[in-house]
Amino acid sequence: MRFTRTRHRLLLLVVVALTAFAACGSSGGGSTAGQASGRPVSGGSLTFATDTEPINFDIHVSPQDVTALIQRNVFDSLVYQDSKGAFHPWLAESWETAPDLRSYTFHLRTGVRFSDGTAFDAEAVKLNFEHVVAKTTKSQFAASLLGPYTGTEVIDPTTVKVSFSQPFAPFLQAASTAYLGFYSPKALAENAGKLSAGGPVDVGTGPFLFSSYTKGQSVVLTRNPAYAWAPKGAGHSGPAYLDRLTIRFLRENSVRVGALNSGQIDVAGSLPPANVKAVEANRSLQVLRRDASGGNYNIYPNTTRGPLTDERVRKALQQGINIDQNVRTVYFGQYKRAWSPVGALTPSYNPALVGTWPYDAAKANRLLDEAGWTGRDAGGYRTKDGKRLSLRWPIVPSLVREQRDILGQAIQEDLHKIGVEIVRPSLDAGTYIDAIYSGDYDLLDLSWARFEPDVLRLAFHSKSTAANGGQNASYFNDPDVDRWTVTGEGTFDTSVRNDVYAKTQQRVIERAAVIPVYTPSYIVGAASYVRDLTFDTNAWPRFYDVWRDKK
Amino acid sequence: MIVRLLSGVAKRLLAAVVVMVGAATLAFGALHLIPGDQVSILLGPNSAASPEVRAQIRSDYGFDRPLVVQYAQYLSNVVRGRLGESYQQNQPVSALIGGQVWPTLQLAAAALGLALVIAAVSAVATAGRRPAWRSLASAWELVAVSTPAFWTGLLLLTAFSFQLHVFPVAGAQDLRSLVLPALALALSLAGVLGQVLREGLETALRQPFATTARARGLSQLAVTTRHAFRHAAVPLLTLAGWLTGTLVGGVVAVETVFGRPGIGALILLAVSTKDMPVVMGIVLLCGLIFVVTSLLVDLLAVVVDPRLRAEAVAV
Repeated sequence: MRFTRTRHRLLLLVVVALTAFAACGSSGGGSTAGQASGRPVSGGSLTFATDTEPINFDIHVSPQDVTALIQRNVFDSLVYQDSKGAFHPWLAESWETAPDLRSYTFHLRTGVRFSDGTAFDAEAVKLNFEHVVAKTTKSQFAASLLGPYTGTEVIDPTTVKVSFSQPFAPFLQAASTAYLGFYSPKALAENAGKLSAGGPVDVGTGPFLFSSYTKGQSVVLTRNPAYAWAPKGAGHSGPAYLDRLTIRFLRENSVRVGALNSGQIDVAGSLPPANVKAVEANRSLQVLRRDASGGNYNIYPNTTRGPLTDERVRKALQQGINIDQNVRTVYFGQYKRAWSPVGALTPSYNPALVGTWPYDAAKANRLLDEAGWTGRDAGGYRTKDGKRLSLRWPIVPSLVREQRDILGQAIQEDLHKIGVEIVRPSLDAGTYIDAIYSGDYDLLDLSWARFEPDVLRLAFHSKSTAANGGQNASYFNDPDVDRWTVTGEGTFDTSVRNDVYAKTQQRVIERAAVIPVYTPSYIVGAASYVRDLTFDTNAWPRFYDVWRDKK
Repeated sequence: MIVRLLSGVAKRLLAAVVVMVGAATLAFGALHLIPGDQVSILLGPNSAASPEVRAQIRSDYGFDRPLVVQYAQYLSNVVRGRLGESYQQNQPVSALIGGQVWPTLQLAAAALGLALVIAAVSAVATAGRRPAWRSLASAWELVAVSTPAFWTGLLLLTAFSFQLHVFPVAGAQDLRSLVLPALALALSLAGVLGQVLREGLETALRQPFATTARARGLSQLAVTTRHAFRHAAVPLLTLAGWLTGTLVGGVVAVETVFGRPGIGALILLAVSTKDMPVVMGIVLLCGLIFVVTSLLVDLLAVVVDPRLRAEAVAV
């Protein structure tokens, strides 16, 4: 093609100018609704746009966040966990925990009906849990929430006992998630194979009915007028306020933000940090957020391989990265840097760790010198016995989220300054998973959100390696941490849990088994007439209490 | 004569079958060339699936059988129209594709039609005209060709949806929601087609028959549309047919940007989750589209160009 470079550049300039103009012109006036919350009114519909589309709608199968986010409106759980972590009655009016934590007895609420008319009873609980663990269900997540499950016993129509082969304290939290929600027994019997596809076959007891699903486009939920069993702790009781909730799938960030700005949707999920300031500045919009709990976005050094077996080298990495500045720059000040492997909203978070391991390049250099990495090669990297201090940190481009690749470049640059080389081979998902299982890496990055400090056991217990279905990417092995996390898993006593989990967090930081980086935040942009939009413990928006102010 | 015709048709069909088997084999090969354990891949990283679930999946999908057996089983299933079941969506692949194919066909057909119209207007209006018009037209065509469809889509959305509120941002609920995605996809196609058509028209206009036609007193427009156009139409058709086969790539991007249902959403989901049965099904579908459009193009070429009729029979 005969087309010169200068013309190309000119074209680019025109296009950029065009978009820049378009971006500037968007924030409209509109009436400011103010923050004073009036009396909720019933009626109207709401459109929420999310960036991911469920692959599978079956809550008992799918491990996806977005599946639970949507289906939470359609399915209820036995218990309800409020945003502070306390448990409240929901489909279970009360419950007793066996002293050895091997069984839980639930007294079910009466009068609850699935939207197909079937009654919710003890038999329904049993059928659902059996569906979760059935081999044919191929559960990718819910079955792991049931842990050492052995069976469910129907004691009478409103009493049910769930048993485990060993003490299992995390069960109440698990039972509060949408993944352990309840399908109508009729739906399970007649449509077990079709639940994955979504639509009206997904029958639950929730405040909304699953009316339709158009792949690639939207899910439509309509109000369940019979709903009268909202959990204690929710904003109201009775049916939901909204007549209809439409969930649109708009993968492209700029499209989601543009649609919000132009009033074509009411709520936009996963607002990119770069756009937050602009949405905040728009008086007809509001920004709502909640930080994720559970495992932060952390980097895990492989403590069983090469230079990182030396704690001093790990410590040098921990304090040789300017985390504050990197996180602030990449995320426009919207995400918080992390001091602990778990987020600040996680129960038993240890706030004493804040500020205990600041950026200190001088100290990092000293530690590396002490560890014997005193030589320097032509590239400016440290050497020991002629070998370069080079670490392998694999990356899967197709799985990169939240610009973590760019954050990784900043980290690479910081470590270069203290003479550490970071090599980031691009792998496809298959090779990457093989690398995880075989421990063929020096550094690995992960985030694992869950409102439960038990993630510390998953991440640091010596038996919890990838091969055993765990997350111990550091291959960390500390008998104290093993004991503490097992104690925490086996008790409800808050003071004991606070104690053991605080010690665990401190120990893994001290021994540099982890480099916490940032706490992801779920940021939502919404029109100002959208009221009472709150977040659950997973930081997913909740729609049951939402109502539209006028308009 | 009839025997010759039939043998020509038979050869075509045979070639089509070879293409389809080739596509199926490539898809199967790709599945098995992907590094890593198949079950781990389909479960994805961070999966908490138990070893029992893994074993169940392994036997369900026949990963534990020899490769040759798996291949034979796969081919025989394909012949019987069974494309298997999606790993991730627990639904038959044929149902998934069947449910998504209609909005995509709508979009592709609208885009192709629009592209042909734009290309024809732009080329006919400027072929053999003043250089200023020509270079203006070919400049916009180059811009259109070199702009990726998703970017055009974003610009169109910004202007006509976010600013002017003329068209809805996304979806496939009515004709109005088809306009912007079809236009985004059509512009780059129109760029290519317009260039080729103008080239063809100008070559034809330099032929002696064009001079003759003009000598009979026909206007420039009449010469171009009635005489030169037919000549230039054959390469245009061939190219349009080939572009239709490659349209799927553009469709993925455009459907994603506009949040439209269709094969694009399915491909993206399937590729990003390594849902190989779906990927293989879509590869077959693309093969089929390619085969069908080439057949159609060949037929149309014969209709347009009388010189090809004798040859077609002789094939």
